[in-house]
Amino acid sequence: MLAAAAALSAAAPARAADPGPAFSDTDILGAPPPYFRFESVSLRFTRFDQTGTGYQSRAGPKGGPGSEALAVDEAQLEVVAKQGERITYRLWVPVDIVTAASPDSIDVVSSASRQNEAASVDLTTIYEASPVTSLSVRNGLHNEENWRSWNTSLGVTRSFAEDNTVVEAGVTQISDWFDKYTLAGAHDGHTARSSTSGSLGVTQILSPTTVGHVDYGLTLQRGQLSNGWNIVPLTSGGVALEVLPEGRVRHALSGRIAQWLPWNGAAHAAYRFYVDDWGIRAHTVDLELYQRVASVAYLRFGYRFHRQTGASFFHTRVERDFTIATADSDLAAFDAQTLGAKVAVDVPVRFARSLHVDVGADRYFRTNDLRVNVFSCGFGLLF
Amino acid sequence: MKTLLLALFALVGAGCVVVPQNRRARLADPMMAMAPDALETHQKQKFYSTREGAAGGDGAAAGGGCACQ
Repeated sequence: MLAAAAALSAAAPARAADPGPAFSDTDILGAPPPYFRFESVSLRFTRFDQTGTGYQSRAGPKGGPGSEALAVDEAQLEVVAKQGERITYRLWVPVDIVTAASPDSIDVVSSASRQNEAASVDLTTIYEASPVTSLSVRNGLHNEENWRSWNTSLGVTRSFAEDNTVVEAGVTQISDWFDKYTLAGAHDGHTARSSTSGSLGVTQILSPTTVGHVDYGLTLQRGQLSNGWNIVPLTSGGVALEVLPEGRVRHALSGRIAQWLPWNGAAHAAYRFYVDDWGIRAHTVDLELYQRVASVAYLRFGYRFHRQTGASFFHTRVERDFTIATADSDLAAFDAQTLGAKVAVDVPVRFARSLHVDVGADRYFRTNDLRVNVFSCGFGLLF
Repeated sequence: MKTLLLALFALVGAGCVVVPQNRRARLADPMMAMAPDALETHQKQKFYSTREGAAGGDGAAAGGGCACQ
């Protein structure tokens, strides 16, 4: 015992003189990330070319239908940044330049506004309250020629069972203020619209190669729900501004499943059932097939089918003393189909973790005379 | 609707199976993401909500914010 005590006391001075390990925590684990850092920067450019006709448009013969020709160039910027370990910011700025045949009432008396610009600024802040719970706050402002809009959202996400189940819930309020016009195009004061929405979604891992998602959304709208310039042809030969109900209750229930395929591909299938108190019921099926063609590239082919009944007050011609009526082709009964393809490439680069580039095209066509070609390309840097 | 409810129950029932993290490599592939690109998702949401009477069911509000129905 004495010998052991002597050996310990002899070793003590040697420990005090120990210079410490040759490697620091930073050498082993790497430098801690900076307190504020960019996670990703993305850009997307999209071109929409639309042709077709609808009775709500004035760009045609009296009694219609008029042209719905439209071209939209849209640019979007998204920046995602992280502050510390718990806070993530997402800044999103979309800009639209719309060139239309003659959809708005100002063009009835002047063609000066055939090109409209619209822009939004939208910021989402996500706070990771715990490893399984996140809270988010989103605010955005939108401005265009005769339209101002503000949106605000609150959301919560919680995961269960080692992230096998993720539940999301959110509420959104959108407030729109916009100008009113008379049938002749004169300014007629201002009006407003409110849209309040709640949603609940569940994402569930079903197997090592399968994941599913279900979502329910309820939206309540109040105020002037027409855009202020759509017309309805009259049986007498003239036209009148459309008049829509002052409220709308909209339900949507959707499900989506993604399945990994053994030949290095994936298949997605989605279905949505929609119903509202305007008399519209809709079924939408969306199918996507992915195929990896190289370690850094994949192809996507998509098909979408949409069938809806028309609003109960949809008419292409009404009596002069009507109370509620629309001739908007978007609120008619129709079938719509979309065919699309996309190629995406993700390559590692020297100045970022990866560079993403994608190019895609879609063709949308409806049974009530509307066709749209969509071309889109996206660029992204993931840091 | 019955089919949808059955699918919903199947999904919830399957939740009893826990897939450990080291068996989720396939699920991490970008091709398996439910919404692979936020900007593309917005582009599609706006495109369809401004041309069809139906919208929603994707976490976003079904209306408001634009001169559309």
